[in-house]
Amino acid sequence: TEFKSSDVHNSDDYPTVTAVKFMGEQLNKASGGKHSIKVFNKGALGTEKETIDQVKIGALDMTRVNISPMNSICAKTNIPVLPFLFRSVDHLHKVLDGPIGAEIAKDCEAQGFVLLAYYDSGSRSIYSKKPVKTVADTKGMKIRVQQSDLWVAVAGAMGANPTPMPAGEVLTALKTGLVDAAENNYPSYGSGFRHFEAAKYYNKTEHSMAPEVLLFSKLSWDKLPKAEQDMVRAAATASVDFNRKAWAAYEKKEFDMVKAAGSEIVEVDKKSFQDAMAPVYEKFAATPDMKRLVKAVQDTK
Amino acid sequence: MELTVLGVSFSLLLLIGVPVGFAVGLSSVATIIAAGLPVAVVFQKMVGGMQVFSFLAIPFFIFAGELMLHGGIAQRIVRFANSLVGHVRGGLGMSNVLGCTLFGGVAGSPLADVSAMGSVMIPLMKKEGYDTDYAVNVTTHASLVGALMPTSHNLILYTLATAGIASVSVLGMILACLIPAVLLTLLNLLAAYGVAVQRGYPTRGAFKGWGEVFNSFMAALPGLLIIAIILVGILSGVFTATESAATAVLWALLVTGLAYRSLSWKDFIASCAKACKTTGVVLFLIGISAAFGYFLAMYEVPQRTGDLMASFTQTPWMIFLSVNIILFLLGTFLDMAPTLLICTPIFLPICQKYGMDASQFGVMMLLNCALGLNTPPVGSTQFVGCAIGGISVGEVMRSIWPFYGALLACLMLVTYVPAFSLWLPHFVMFN
Amino acid sequence: MYTRLCATLSKLSLMLAVVGLIVLIACVQYQVIGRYVFNDTPTWAEALALLLVLYITSLGVAVGVRDAGHIGMDSIITLLPERLRLKLEIVIHVLVGAFGALMAYNGYVWAVLKWNDQKPMLPVPSGVDYVPLVIAGVLVVLFTIEHVIALVQGKEVVPAWN
Ligand code: NA
Ligand code: NA
Repeated sequence: TEFKSSDVHNSDDYPTVTAVKFMGEQLNKASGGKHSIKVFNKGALGTEKETIDQVKIGALDMTRVNISPMNSICAKTNIPVLPFLFRSVDHLHKVLDGPIGAEIAKDCEAQGFVLLAYYDSGSRSIYSKKPVKTVADTKGMKIRVQQSDLWVAVAGAMGANPTPMPAGEVLTALKTGLVDAAENNYPSYGSGFRHFEAAKYYNKTEHSMAPEVLLFSKLSWDKLPKAEQDMVRAAATASVDFNRKAWAAYEKKEFDMVKAAGSEIVEVDKKSFQDAMAPVYEKFAATPDMKRLVKAVQDTK
Repeated sequence: MELTVLGVSFSLLLLIGVPVGFAVGLSSVATIIAAGLPVAVVFQKMVGGMQVFSFLAIPFFIFAGELMLHGGIAQRIVRFANSLVGHVRGGLGMSNVLGCTLFGGVAGSPLADVSAMGSVMIPLMKKEGYDTDYAVNVTTHASLVGALMPTSHNLILYTLATAGIASVSVLGMILACLIPAVLLTLLNLLAAYGVAVQRGYPTRGAFKGWGEVFNSFMAALPGLLIIAIILVGILSGVFTATESAATAVLWALLVTGLAYRSLSWKDFIASCAKACKTTGVVLFLIGISAAFGYFLAMYEVPQRTGDLMASFTQTPWMIFLSVNIILFLLGTFLDMAPTLLICTPIFLPICQKYGMDASQFGVMMLLNCALGLNTPPVGSTQFVGCAIGGISVGEVMRSIWPFYGALLACLMLVTYVPAFSLWLPHFVMFN
Repeated sequence: MYTRLCATLSKLSLMLAVVGLIVLIACVQYQVIGRYVFNDTPTWAEALALLLVLYITSLGVAVGVRDAGHIGMDSIITLLPERLRLKLEIVIHVLVGAFGALMAYNGYVWAVLKWNDQKPMLPVPSGVDYVPLVIAGVLVVLFTIEHVIALVQGKEVVPAWN
C-alpha cells in the first residue's frame, strides 16, 4: 500500500517532510516493496486540524502535525506544550523517548490515533521590535499567538496583550505595527514566514518546546497484520533519529541566515518568565493525573 | 480514473445548467466515492474553506457595496465626473468611465458597479443621443476596474486561493492592483474618446468651471473616502484587511444614513438581505471549491498540467501566453470567483516556476477574469449592462473592440512587464 | 400550504442571517476597539466571527436555492424545446436537493464526531461548526421539493423577501 501522509510545511527540505520520506524508504525496503509512503506537504490535503480529523475517520493514513492541535482531543498531549517545563533539548528527548512519551501516545490511541513518532520543532521564542530581557518588558506588548487557549494563557501570564491571528497575516501585522511581537522557532522566524524582516530582536525565551508528532490512522492500522505494524513502527523510530539530526542542521542554517540578515539574538532572564507561569499550570495541568505527569517530567534526569 | 470522474461529471453538470457551486459539490462527491474515501471529507473541506478569517472581508465588502448601491452615492459621483470631463467630445461617455471607475473603487464589485452606475448613466446617455451599444460598453468596461480596487472581494478571494502555494498578503495584492487600475482607466478613457470621435458624437455645453468641480467633488468626497480609509487603515497598522472591510461597512452606513440621509430604513434592510444572499452564494462557492482543491492536490493536477505544458514549450513568454489563453477560454463561460478558485492552484505554480511573482499573477488573473465578465456566452456584467440598455449581446459587440483592446493592452503589460504590478508594493512595503 | 411554509422558512432564515451579519460586524469592530482602547484583544471575537459566518453562509445558500440566486450557466437549457426543458429543470432541482441531503447527513456525522472536542477560544464544542450544514441541507431539500412541485404545476416560486 502507498500510505498518504500530510504535512503543512512548504519547503521540501523541511526536517519533518524529509523524515517521513526517509521513513517511507525504510518501510519500502523492510516490506520488500509492499508498502511505501507518499508525502503531501504544503498543506495540500488540509490544515493540521483538518488532516487530524481525516486521519480519525480513515480518509487519510498519516499526518504529521504539531502536538498543539491535539490538545483538545487528548488531554495528556498538553504536557509537552506547557511553558518552561523542559530544561534542555536532551531533557525533552529523554521524556518523549521514555514512559511519559508512551503514556501520551496511549492517550491518543484511545481517540483513534497511533502516535508513531515525536519529531523536533526546536524551542519557541518571542521576537519583537524592541529587545525583551525580563518578563517586565512584555507588559502590555501586543504579542501574536496561535489561536489556542493555552497560548493565549501563556502570553496573558506574561502580562502581554495576546492577539490571536492566522499565520499568514503576521508578517504584514508586524510590519505595520498592528502587533509588536510574535513567537516561533528559528525556521519560522527565518525563511518559513520571513518574520525577521519585521522583528529584529529574537529574544531567547525558549518558552515552549512543543514537539511535532506523526499520527497513523487507527482504522488503517488495524487492517495491518502485526508483523507489518512492527515494520511501520521500526521505520518510524528510525526516522526520529534522522529527523533530530536534520533538525539540528536546519535550525543552524536558519540561525546563521537571520544573524547574517542583521537580527539580534537577545539573552533573556528566563527565571522571571518561569515565575509568572503559575496561572497557566493551574489552568492546564489541574487534574491529579496531569500534576503527576508534570512532576514526572521534572524528575526525569 | 478519479480525475476522469471529476472532469466528466463536473462538465456534464455544468452543461445541463446545475449551478456552479452544486456542480462542484456533486462532482466532488462522485470523485471521492470513486476514490473509495469517506464522503464526509468533501463537507469537511467545505466548512474549512469557509472558515478563514480573511474571508470575512468578503461579506463586509459585499454589504458595503449594497449600502452604496441603495444609498445614492452613485448620483454624486456622476455629477463630479461630469463636471470634470462632461464638456469634451463624447463627454458623457468619458464621465461615465470616470464615474464607474470611482464607484467601482468604492463598491469593489463590477456587478454592483454596473447596476448602480448603469441605471443612472445608460438611460441618460441614450437621452443625449448616444448609441445604446456605446453607452453599454463604456459602462460595463469601466466597471471592470472595480475588480482591481482595494474594496474588491475578488482580490481577497485570490489571496486565499494562493494558500499553500505562495504567501500573498492582502495589502501586497491591493498595492499591486493600483497602478494597473489607473492604467486601465486611462486606456478606457482613450477608447471612449476614440469611438466618440469616430462616430462624430457632439460636444455638449461648456466647462462649468472649477467651482462646480470643487462643489461636486465635496459632495462625492464622503463616499470616495472609503478607499482612503481602507488603504491608510491597513498601511498604518490600525486594521487588518478584514477589520478595514468591517470599517468600510460602518463608514458606508454613516455616509448614506447620516451624511447624505439617502438611505431609508427599507433600503437598509434590503441591503442587508441582499448582502446575506450574495454572501451565501459566494462563500458556498469558495467553501466547496476547497474540496476541488483537495482533489487537484491529491492527484497532482498542477504538476501534471505543468509537465504537459512544458512538453510543448519551455519559453516563459509562451507559457504565460498559453495560461492567459486557457484562462480566457474558461472565463468565457465561468464567472470570476470560480475561475479564481479553480485555476489559481493549477496555474500559479506553473507561472511561478517560469519566474512570475504571485502578486503579478494575481493581477493578471483578475484582469483576465474581468475580460470574461464582458464576453459571451456567459458574461454577468455584460448581461446586466445589456438588460439596462435594452439591447442584445450581439448588438453590443459592434463597438466592443476598442474596449477589448484597452483591456488586452493592460493585460499584456501586466503579464510581460512585472514593474506595473510589483513596483508599488515593493516601494511601500520595503521602505 | 407547503409554499406558505417554505416562504415563511425562507424569510425567517434571511432575517436570522441579517441579524448574524450585524452581530458579525459588531464583533470585528469590537476586536479593533479592544486592541486599541483597552489594550486587551478580545480573543473570542475572531472565533465567534468565524462561527457566525458559517451560519450566515448556510442560511444564504438555502435562500439562494429558493430564490434561484446561484450562479450557473443556462445557455444550453434555453436552446431546448419546452417539454424537454421542463424535464431538465426538474432533474437539476433533484440534483441540488440530493446535494442538500448529503450536506445535512454529513454535517450531522461531523457534528456528532466533534461534539466532545472543545472549540479553541470559545466555550462550545467543535461540533457546532457543522450544525449549519444540517440546517442548510434540510432547507435546501425542502426548497427544491417546492421548486419541483411548482414546475409540475406550471407555477413559479416567488422570493419571500426582497
Ligand atoms: Na463589493
Ligand atoms: Na464570459
